[in-house]
Amino acid sequence: MEQPSFPVQLRQIRETELLIGIPSYNNARTVGHVVRAVMAGLAKYFPKARAVLINSDGGSTDGTQEEVRRVQIEDYKTILTSHPVHPIHKIVTPYHGIPGKGSAFRTIFEAAKSLKAKACVVVDSDLRSITPEWVELLLRPIYEEGFDYVAPLYARHKFDGTITNSIVYPLSRALYGKRVRQPIGGDFGFSGKLAEFYLTKEVWETDVARFGIDIWMTTLAIAEGYKVCQSYLGAKIHDAKDPGSDLGPMFTQVVSSVFSLMKEYEKVWRTVKTSESVPTYGFHYEVGLEPVLVHVERMIGNFRLGVKDLTEIWRRVLLPETLRWLESVGQLSDEAFSFPQDLWVRIVYDFAIAYDKGSVHRGHLLKSMIPLYLGRVASFVKENMDSSAVEVEKRIESLCNAFEEMKPYLLERWE
Amino acid sequence: MGIKIREVKDMSEIWRAAILDSFNRFLGKVLTFLPNLLAMITILIIGFLIAWIVKMILVHFLKALQFDKVSEQWGLTRLLSQGGVAYSPASLLGRFFYWIIVLITLILGINALEVAATQNLVTQFFNFLPHLFAALGILVIGYLIGIFLGQAALIAAVNAGMDSAKVLSRSIRWFIIILSLTMALYHLGIAERVIVAAFSITFGGIVLALAIAFGWGGREFARDFLERLYRKKGKEGEGKDHISHI
Repeated sequence: MEQPSFPVQLRQIRETELLIGIPSYNNARTVGHVVRAVMAGLAKYFPKARAVLINSDGGSTDGTQEEVRRVQIEDYKTILTSHPVHPIHKIVTPYHGIPGKGSAFRTIFEAAKSLKAKACVVVDSDLRSITPEWVELLLRPIYEEGFDYVAPLYARHKFDGTITNSIVYPLSRALYGKRVRQPIGGDFGFSGKLAEFYLTKEVWETDVARFGIDIWMTTLAIAEGYKVCQSYLGAKIHDAKDPGSDLGPMFTQVVSSVFSLMKEYEKVWRTVKTSESVPTYGFHYEVGLEPVLVHVERMIGNFRLGVKDLTEIWRRVLLPETLRWLESVGQLSDEAFSFPQDLWVRIVYDFAIAYDKGSVHRGHLLKSMIPLYLGRVASFVKENMDSSAVEVEKRIESLCNAFEEMKPYLLERWE
Repeated sequence: MGIKIREVKDMSEIWRAAILDSFNRFLGKVLTFLPNLLAMITILIIGFLIAWIVKMILVHFLKALQFDKVSEQWGLTRLLSQGGVAYSPASLLGRFFYWIIVLITLILGINALEVAATQNLVTQFFNFLPHLFAALGILVIGYLIGIFLGQAALIAAVNAGMDSAKVLSRSIRWFIIILSLTMALYHLGIAERVIVAAFSITFGGIVLALAIAFGWGGREFARDFLERLYRKKGKEGEGKDHISHI
């Protein structure tokens, strides 16, 4: 039987209190588990609320959409709950626009606005570690506590999330003054009011529509003064297709989103002097994480190649003393290799300034930053090879403090 | 005796007439030439004024469009400063059009004198002008494309871990610049056949030399390279980092 169109289905439902969005593309293997976890979470923690589940799909050819339609919870008693009072409406729809998560989210935001949803959640469709509790942790702060945005907080391997740990988290914290630990986590809660605000922005043809959507959502929520918190969700295990791959596009899209937003919210971050914690929900517990393989020598090799061949470009971005410092790091042996955090902070700030000025083609600028990033990651991994997760977190905190202390350097060099 | 006196009188009349005639002819030519001279001076004054006004408007317009910023991004400012040019790109373009208008004014002014020798020269100059502009456009665009693609290739090669990134980048840049130069000269009609032949021979020679060097002289190296590439692709899954960067 042919399904009615997406707008027709929304009109038929008319209104909802809760909306769960699941963007997908060829995730038939994992989306079933995600949908079951969401349905169980809604039944267990919000049994009396009206809820809609929307799968915003990018044209999957592996049966993802059919799997979402098919999945049901056969027996609610096995998960120690009962049927929800209101049936959970499921809508499966393709999204339009540039292929990427951002375009999928736009469809979900439009549905939230159309259905006047009070509280919304988006979760990745390749999650293997999602539990029904995630639904409560991401929805309840909005549904009952009056927050507008809930960022996730995961237990991650100490070497995971290097772009987050070395650039996005410390930079966002120094700029906007909120310690949202994982601003590009991937699974979020947000209010209907915030979803409507997101729709007012014309970003859907830019890098935001690709890898930049997560940081864009977090930054706007903080910079525009919405009430932000974070919830501890435990380990995030997802169906990574190719670990460590596609670094180039991922890096450039995320970092370009961060740098672009600096221009837009210059008036906000110029006045921020310190950072503060945000309320954190959830019960923190330790999880066992599998060791990961990192090729430090190859990263150092990439960095040295960058120092040898990209100095011509870096000369137009970095101050002469920064470049000399960088060249001295490039001459260190593998054993003695160390990329100081102060040097890294200067580099990130200098690249942000160059991005704003446009003195180098922006695409080239960000791609030329990759060898520097790999050098910093290699140094971080080397220094923390035998450290515990707690010790690593202290080093990241030290990096964040360095970003905050050197903010006057950014203010001085920014136009 | 009377005949001799009459002859002397006739000669002095002729002499006087010759002088007066010559003077009258000269005066006539001056009177004919004077309006042309005045026209030339008028054309020069108006032309210089127009050139100055166009320069001012163009520079202001380019500054409003942030032309200098875009030029810096494309490496044009750096090229100019390396070449010892102190002016900004917008200012330089303004001066360029100023002197073009001045040159046209001078040509028109000379033409106004209606001197036969310069008539053809003026016609040929104006026929040549569009070709000159097109050739300059080809050179500038070719240079910018060469710089951009050379830089893109350099960064991509470095990120791919290639040791010969700089060589590759320079090769791409110079190939495009030389190609543009060839196209510009061909467009100007300067020794067309020589230019095409020289470019074909040089480029073809380089490709042939590389093919022979790599295929014959470096066949062992080629075999090793392909074997390593095949092995590297096979081990690619094992060799990747297992961290999640985001």
